[in-house]
Amino acid sequence: MSQLRLNRGSSIVGVGCTEFGNMLETPGIKGLCTEELAVKAAFEALDDSGLEPKDIDAFFIGGVQMSTAHMFAHYSRMCDWLGLQRKPGLHFETACSTTNTGAGLAAMAIGSGRWDNILVVGVDSILSHPVDNPPERVPQDAGELWTTTDYGADQEYAVPHGWDIAPGYGAFPTLAYAQRYGLTLAQMDEIMFNMHMTVRRQAVLEPKAFIKQDLPTLAASVGIPDPWEFWNSQYNPYAAWPTRALSCLNPCDGASAYVVTPADKAKQYTDTPIDILGFDWAAYNGLADKDPLNWDVDRLPFEGAYKMAGIAPADIDYLSVHDCMQIYQLVLAEVAGYLEKGQGYKAFLERRTGSDGDKPICTHGGKHGKGHAFGASGGSDIYEAVKQMKGAAGARQIAKQPAISVVHNAGYCMHTAVTVLGRRD
Amino acid sequence: MSGESIVRTFYAALGEGKILGTKCGECGSYSFPPKTACTECGSRDIEVVEMSGDGELQFYSSGGLPPLRFADYAPYAYGLVKLKEGPMWLTMIKGVEVVDHDKMEAFFTTLPVAVKAKIAEVAGTNIVTFEV
Repeated sequence: MSQLRLNRGSSIVGVGCTEFGNMLETPGIKGLCTEELAVKAAFEALDDSGLEPKDIDAFFIGGVQMSTAHMFAHYSRMCDWLGLQRKPGLHFETACSTTNTGAGLAAMAIGSGRWDNILVVGVDSILSHPVDNPPERVPQDAGELWTTTDYGADQEYAVPHGWDIAPGYGAFPTLAYAQRYGLTLAQMDEIMFNMHMTVRRQAVLEPKAFIKQDLPTLAASVGIPDPWEFWNSQYNPYAAWPTRALSCLNPCDGASAYVVTPADKAKQYTDTPIDILGFDWAAYNGLADKDPLNWDVDRLPFEGAYKMAGIAPADIDYLSVHDCMQIYQLVLAEVAGYLEKGQGYKAFLERRTGSDGDKPICTHGGKHGKGHAFGASGGSDIYEAVKQMKGAAGARQIAKQPAISVVHNAGYCMHTAVTVLGRRD
Repeated sequence: MSGESIVRTFYAALGEGKILGTKCGECGSYSFPPKTACTECGSRDIEVVEMSGDGELQFYSSGGLPPLRFADYAPYAYGLVKLKEGPMWLTMIKGVEVVDHDKMEAFFTTLPVAVKAKIAEVAGTNIVTFEV
């Protein structure tokens, strides 16, 4: 049993997001500890909403990589830092969809009538880990990072059988798309190249993004004037043939936050409340669902969230999908109904998915360009959607300010969360 | 559950050359590997059955940064197999090219192809690989 209408609606009235990068290097987050990283995003969200910690009734903190944060019990580790000591709080986690799931959790908490003002925070510090003399941190070994990340994958059977996310989540959907729609792998490579040109161009327009160079600039920096030649060079090896390294995520550190209030009180805090119109989730164990181009774990939450929100795919002005492997910009835009099945690749070839295109997708640069800070990424995607819907996205503002946005995140391995956001009038 | 581990049973059976899955008493679907409910309908009315070991290779590739436990086996092929009984499974694939991308692409255009299960010890554990 489930019901589509909550007893009262809820709205996002403030958003915050740190720079996405490396806490050992990146200006803005360099030198912070994990608590301070979370606080930076949370206080930006509070400032954006005009609320103070005393106004928050309950808080939900998401974080995935305990191995690098050296932290669980985020509610107690952070409540005093956030000014929320003795308030109701919890740590929650659906891996990389965590802070998308948080929007639905907040909507239900408010919808039940139990609480009014909810602060949702996501934080992950994964490129380094603490040592004995705080707040110093040392770099995290990449192999060890993936070993602990794989704790989110089936350890009894899948991992002993050779578990590898790059072929499973990168190569196979790419091969499946080529096979089903009669494209050559050379054509797929051209699609992925053009997609990446857009991804990096968008990232450069987002000051908080991990990536600071567009592809032509990156290519020129190693003496290759032609970005297509660079794409095919030793600088872009296969992560898992035919998926290249540049089509994969950039793991990074970061935090995000948003403040959710009852819809009927939201105008007290902002002129432009962004309503949470619908949400849905699904869990699935592994990557071996039947159709690599239309997994039930993605399709079902899209359908459920649209139904709850009362929207159709044609209503979507802005789409954010979980592109930790960039092929999923294409696959999921088709699953979402945002691009036509088997035709969506043309929008990427023609570079129409940037903020100046007619089909904007992941205008912050996605999980490669903005970067992927696991538990904070859903909130970063919601931050981008809200900024776009409020006309506050700066140089990457979509010309037609979105009225309806759909945000999709996939958590290892797998949990899909889809949230539909709406702007009034 | 009687305290008997189905995971332990699965790996012990591999040592005797048998590949186990489950068949659902409610929807008739097979699940692989065996767990404690039907992976299609969720029913707990399942029985452990021996799988044929026949399947079709859907896709395969080779990861450039394999998990640490498989570093000594790299480069290895990793593929998506559709078992004759219905379930899909990701595992190591034997008997295919993993270095020459032109050969891999030529083979890709012939997929899906029939494969046969081959139990092999990898990283200290008997697992179900498939061979072209």
